Amino acid sequence: MSDTSRDRLMLVVALAMAAIYLFPLYWMYVTALKSGSDMFASPPSFWPTSPSWGTFAYVWESRNMGRYLWNSIVIATGAVTLVAVLGTGCAYVLARYRSVWVDIGLFLILMLQVLPASLMITPIFVGFTQMGLLEYPRFAVVLAIAAKSMPFFVVLVRATFMAVPVELEEAAQVDGNSRIGAFVNIVLPLARNGILVSAILIFMQAFGEFVYSKSIIQDVSLQPASVGLNSFMGPNTSEWNNIMAYATLYVTPILAIFVLLQRRIVSGLTSGALK
Amino acid sequence: MTNQIELSGVNKYYGAYHALKNIDLAIPKGSFVALVGPSGCGKSTLLRSLAGLETISSGDLLIAGERMNGVPPRRRDLAMVFQSYALYPHMTVEENLTYSLKIKGVKKAERKKAADDVAAVTGLKDLLSRYPRELSGGQRQRVAMSRAIIRNPKAFLFDEPLSNLDAALRVHMRKEIRTLHDRLGATSVYVTHDQVEAMTMADHVVVMRQGIVEQHGAPLDLYDRPINRFVAGFIGSPAMNFIDAQSSADGRFLLLDLQSPQVLPAPASLPPDQRVVVGIRPEHLRPAAGGEEGLEFDVAAVESTGSASYVTAATSPEIVVVLNERSAIRRGERVRFAVDTRQIHLFDATTGQRLDVP
Repeated sequence: MSDTSRDRLMLVVALAMAAIYLFPLYWMYVTALKSGSDMFASPPSFWPTSPSWGTFAYVWESRNMGRYLWNSIVIATGAVTLVAVLGTGCAYVLARYRSVWVDIGLFLILMLQVLPASLMITPIFVGFTQMGLLEYPRFAVVLAIAAKSMPFFVVLVRATFMAVPVELEEAAQVDGNSRIGAFVNIVLPLARNGILVSAILIFMQAFGEFVYSKSIIQDVSLQPASVGLNSFMGPNTSEWNNIMAYATLYVTPILAIFVLLQRRIVSGLTSGALK
Repeated sequence: MTNQIELSGVNKYYGAYHALKNIDLAIPKGSFVALVGPSGCGKSTLLRSLAGLETISSGDLLIAGERMNGVPPRRRDLAMVFQSYALYPHMTVEENLTYSLKIKGVKKAERKKAADDVAAVTGLKDLLSRYPRELSGGQRQRVAMSRAIIRNPKAFLFDEPLSNLDAALRVHMRKEIRTLHDRLGATSVYVTHDQVEAMTMADHVVVMRQGIVEQHGAPLDLYDRPINRFVAGFIGSPAMNFIDAQSSADGRFLLLDLQSPQVLPAPASLPPDQRVVVGIRPEHLRPAAGGEEGLEFDVAAVESTGSASYVTAATSPEIVVVLNERSAIRRGERVRFAVDTRQIHLFDATTGQRLDVP
């Protein structure tokens, strides 16, 4: 087989995989635009015959989506801020010092990442209740998500810091900067991309977080969009177009952010630092 | 002359590892000192201790008369050129040069002027707005140098700054660094593993091994009177020939342990039957004239670079001779080489210390 035909075959395989993977997303958009009879047509139609755009406005109004999305943003922003502020320092220290204790620390951090949210929620719930944190349910969820996302952030950002040569910091110190000054002026700008990417990934995770929010936040007016979507669905639900419209409104902004920042996520920065 | 840097009884431990052992060293103001030794000898640790990037475990470190033991790097007022150059990749050349001034709070216009002045000296004028990644290796090296020069520091520290350059550029930069040093009247400490760099650039060479200073002095003193076998072998290229030997019963001759016994006149009368190591530099052996005494051996190989010929003898240990002219000597010939007795070095067979010939 020649190189070009193998390349083509690979491309076809890749496209097929992408199509399978992205089909649910496509189905969400298409269903959101379908009318009642279209939805239940058999065989199903892959393209809405008469797209009904009014569904979006109707769902936004009737489900009070503005409030849900606002809560999602508050929770995600809070969690990302907490993780970024605490995790950056932690990752830096773990990147710069090598010892048995650091290795043990990293192992424990990775262990935390392994535990699923649905397992952790019960002890967290009990603990939070006893500390009275359930009085501030959104803050409690922020804490829980931050704890859950921290290992992921630390491990990613640590790798970023390790890619920044120590000599640059030393040069900055000899140039007259303090240790902290060298960190802020030299290391942080060079690690910016890695930190940004990790923060975005965590923001997206937190934006769609469900288990903690569902369990901890009882007050409907404080619930995020993920819980709102869940309460939309019941055993006898048949308004799939409305649910899909809700999902579309929920997911599209995140998708847009991801597409816009995707180039940043890929690009590197430290080239030219050393010989 | 006052000392710009003074070390007395400096020790450095990494846990149980003793990296610097009781170092005493005085570096006069305006001098160019090279720290040289094989890798792991502690020369870089010593330099980093001067810079404040490592803290010394005991002893005293004085810079311009002030005790600097626990002082952080930023208050030592030293400039350092790193082996990797360590240019800030997110800053332009100009920002790299003026970063230290910016921290000091120098006004923007003055910073610009300082950068222009230094760039004019080091030939970076057209590159000020470029980023490090857009420069060649030689240009980056210049930026690293300029970044040090702009600060007008108490001393310059160089950590193998030329090892990433190709051979031709290295020879060129060697001269350039020395010229800059002389023009600025600076004090420089230069770490290198390359003894040729140390010999050619420095006023004063410090030879280190395993955390101790083996010998220090003017380059030619080290070449002429190495204090022990290690220094003798380290300084000079190709390396000195070492031959085990024994003094004769009357102490006037040296009986060399080559495959066939050979005799050389001793530089001075020695105790009878003493075991010694004879050191002869390759460039001090010359073809013997007429009936001159000397070492006679079969030639195993002749390599010629055009300007010099390297003759390797088929002996054990192998003896190398450098002749600074075209030579008619061919492989397989038996040749006699003479050596001036004053150019024979003698070392103790067990301790390796120089045996001083009165």
